[in-house]
Order: sequence, then structure tokens, then C-alpha cells
Amino acid sequence: MPGDPTTMLIDPRMTEEARLRLLQDFGLDKPLTVQYFLYLKHLVHGDLGMSFIYKQPVSKIIMSRLPWTLILMIASQIITMFIGIPLGIYSGYKKGSIFDQIVNAITILGVSIFVPWLSISLLYLFGYKIPIFPIGGAFTPGLGGKELYVDIIKHMVLPVLTLTLINLANYVLYSRASIVDIMSEDYIRTARSKGMKERRTIWKHAARNAMIPTVTVAGMLFGSMVGGAVLTETVYAYPGVGRMIYDAVGQQDFPVLQGAFIVLAFSVIMMNIIADIVCAYLDPRIKLE
Amino acid sequence: MECIKEKKIKGFSSKKSGNWKKTLKIFFKHKIGVIGFIGVMIVFMVAILAPYIAEPAEGYGNAEDILLSPSPQHIFGTDSMGLDIFSEVVWGARSSIKVGFIAVIVSIFIGVPIGLVSGYFKGPISTVAMGITDIFLTIPVLPLMIIIAAVVGNGINKVAVVIGLFSWPSLARITKAATLEVSNMQYIEAAKSLGIRTRRILIKHVLVNASAPILVNLTLIIATSILTESGLSFLGLGDPITWSWGRILQNAHRSGAFVSAWWFSLFPSLAIMFFVISFNFLGMGIREALNPKLRER
Repeated sequence: MPGDPTTMLIDPRMTEEARLRLLQDFGLDKPLTVQYFLYLKHLVHGDLGMSFIYKQPVSKIIMSRLPWTLILMIASQIITMFIGIPLGIYSGYKKGSIFDQIVNAITILGVSIFVPWLSISLLYLFGYKIPIFPIGGAFTPGLGGKELYVDIIKHMVLPVLTLTLINLANYVLYSRASIVDIMSEDYIRTARSKGMKERRTIWKHAARNAMIPTVTVAGMLFGSMVGGAVLTETVYAYPGVGRMIYDAVGQQDFPVLQGAFIVLAFSVIMMNIIADIVCAYLDPRIKLE
Repeated sequence: MECIKEKKIKGFSSKKSGNWKKTLKIFFKHKIGVIGFIGVMIVFMVAILAPYIAEPAEGYGNAEDILLSPSPQHIFGTDSMGLDIFSEVVWGARSSIKVGFIAVIVSIFIGVPIGLVSGYFKGPISTVAMGITDIFLTIPVLPLMIIIAAVVGNGINKVAVVIGLFSWPSLARITKAATLEVSNMQYIEAAKSLGIRTRRILIKHVLVNASAPILVNLTLIIATSILTESGLSFLGLGDPITWSWGRILQNAHRSGAFVSAWWFSLFPSLAIMFFVISFNFLGMGIREALNPKLRER
């Protein structure tokens, strides 16, 4: 894929003058170090540069794509939490049981799964063999009102399912590991000895404490989840940032690639901050300063 | 003084080799670890013996061979160019092993020193090293790798080095945690008071005793870098000349033939997952074998 990005935007039939003017417009005539510092200067003003291909500001292109990625990630994140944490807690509580062993085996499969294959398989099964879900994109053009919402949700099902299946293993792994530690804590013994019902002991005392490390880890794993989203969006032709990165690589649209990375890194940091706030809510001993 | 030093170190190392035998014994008692070991060995054998197993798939196949379903002649079927998928999978094993090992070596050279230094020394160096590690742990690595792979170009070695450059943070963290634990031990204090050079203490005493969790993490790094390489190849950033499992899948996706030909995407994916699960199992086995709590039994 390497090459001079200018070959993508310059027509060989162009006159030398026009070529130079085009390079000047994109600031490509200056030395690389100067270009870099100019980029940083523009960055603090919120300017991510111009796309070589679309001839539009990068920030505008990204902003039109980002909501789609966020909606996918947030939906799958919530579903994963609601399934993964109870599953991990229960299997950690029943440590060594058949249920626990099955969950463990599935977890190992989950961390070893190859994302594109999972996406392709789901697409093959539910897009072609049993065509209940659309095969790609985010919505059908030409719909309006209530129909449009239903249509968007229909398009979301397969990508969200894929992302959920990929991320589930991590949640199960961490919540299981922490519940195993917690069950031997003194306060669990206290709760039991004062005659508290087992169910209440688990879900009220143990689960809440088990969630703290899980949420912290979830915040840290968000970066790798973005990677999964890139692959998933590519397969489903979903118009998010991930698919945009894939297209930009093919078109050697470097400003878009840089911008996408900066925006993704920024959203990962935001997610980490949110995870910290959730932790402080779960554990009153943690204070936000 | 000289003589005490040498004696100590000699006694130390001979005890260690006895330990290794015991460790191997425990390892081979553990079923999952052995399954993983056998799985890894199978892929190794396939990669080494590739020229004897299958003819390399090159160029364009015959028009009448396009997208044939699995048959005795082509046990994994053929692809959209009429090439034998079995042969592509067999030759693809070479790329996966190559990438796994180059990536892990690169990450050892970055991650282990950073972990050792930040675990052993206290002060600003340690803080800075851990800060950098944390940044690398949280940033979305795949998009960054995509960008860098797009800039540096797509030879299999380059891709492997790029993956290695971003795989070390977990290793640095694990090394740091293990180093912290070991460096509080009395024998490190003893080594220090004997006047042994810091570099020697770090390598001979700290690293050797912290090696268990590091070794486990290495298997995980190999597993994830194989997945990453397949992902990058799938996105078209792999080596377009060498066969890799991700590239077969990319062909399946690009040509759209995965709809009619299930074998096109299934077999390379199974190969990827077989190899990755084997490495994960191997890691679990090593962890059990090196766990001091389990050795007592």
C-alpha cells in the first residue's frame, strides 16, 4: 500500500503549474517536519486537515461516520455487560461445576475467535441462508419516520451481535476471576453468618465488589474493542469510522487515517474516564478528585 | 570473595535444572497443556513439511476448477481463482509462525527491559516507563497498526515487526509485577550486598526467577499476533505474495464467493483458530506447571 499519496490526487495529464498549486493547497510542498508542526497547530484549533479524496474537511467526514460507530459500540457494550457480568459471577460462584467448565471452555473459544470469520459466518447464516437481516449498510435509503428506526435497528442486529460475542469472553473472564477472590473475603463470611440469604449475599455484596475491577478492565479494553469494530464494520459495510479507515487505506487518504486515529484515541480516553466515574459510583471508597 | 560469588551462582543454577525436569513432568501431567503443545507441534510440522504436503498454489488455476466443493482431489475445495485451498492453508502456516515469532521477539526486546527497569528501580524512570506502557495499553492499537502498515508497506516481515512494536505493553506490565515481587526477596538483597553488578542481578537473578508469568504471557502474545496478522491481511494490508490465512479469507470476502462456497472461508478460519487455541492451551499448561502452589502436591 505504500506510495506517494499525491499520485492519487494528481492526474498525469495535469500541467506542472496545476500540480504545484494542488500540492500547495494541501500543504504538501513543505518539508515533512514543517507539515507536522502545521498539523499540530491546526489540530489544537480542531482542524484535522482536508481529505485527499473527498476534498472535504476530515472532521466533517469523521463526524458523519462517528455516530454509527458509537451506536454500535455502546449497544454491544451494554448488552455484553448485562450478559457477561452475571454469567461470570455465577460461574465463579459455582467454581468447578459443569456449568463453570462449560463457561470456561466457551471463554477460551471466545478469546481465540477470528472476528472476520465470525462476521462472515453470521452474515452467511442470517443474511443469505435465512434472510431475516439485511446484508450490509446501516439503513435502506428512502424510508422515513417509524419505518426508518425499525430499519436502522434491523441493520444493527448482526454487527452488534458480532461485537457482543467478541467482547463477552473478557467480561466473563474478569468478573469470574474477581468473584472467586471475593468469595473468600471476611465480609462474605460475615454476611452468611448473620443469616443473610445466599442469593442476597451474592448479588448484593459480592457482585457489586466484583464489578469494580471488571469495569476498570472494560475501560482499558475499549481500545482493543475499537479494533474489533474496524473488522466488523468492514465485513458488514457499516458506514462507521472502522469502514472509513478500511476505505481510506485503499485510497491512500492519509489525512482521514490520521484524523480517524486521533478521534478514536480521544473517544477511548473518554470511555476510560467514564469507567473511572462508574467505579467511583460503585465503590464509595474511591474518591474523584 | 570471588569464590563465594561463583559458588553461590553455581549452586543456584544446578538446582534450577533439577527444577526444570520437575516442571516438565508437571506440565505433561496437565492435559490441556499437552493438547496445546501437540496442536502447536502439528502446525510447526505442517509448516516445515509444506513442500512435501502440497504443491504451492501460484498464479491462476484452470477455469473449470473455480470454486469446487471439497472432494478427494481438493480436500478443502478450490477458491475463486481455481487454486487448491488446502495448499494455501498449508503454506499459510509458515506466515503465521513467522509472524508470531518475529512479533514476540520484538516485544521481548522492548517489553522485558521496560518491565525490569520499572519494577526494579524506583523513581522517575520507572514512572515514565510505566506511563508509556499505560498509554500503549489503552490506545486503539489496531487502527494505529493499520495506518503504520499502510505507510511502511506490506512485506510479511514488516507486518510482523509492526505487530511486535505494539504487542509489548502487556509483557512490560507482567514483567514489572513479577520483578517487584522478586526484588523484595532476600536473595536479591544478598546478591546486592555481595557487590554483584546490577545488570548481572537483573538478568541472572531477577529475570530467571520472574520468568514464569513472562513465559505464559509470551504464548498469549504469539496467539494475539497471529490473530492480528490475519486481521491485517484480511483488510488487505498483508503480504500480497505470500499465502497467509488472513489473505485467503480476504479473497473469500472480496470475491463475494463466501456466500456460495462455505469452504472458502471456513478452512482458513479453522486453521487460525486451531493455532490460536493451541497457543492459549499451551499457556495454560505452562502456568499450571510453573505455579508454585500446584507444585507442592
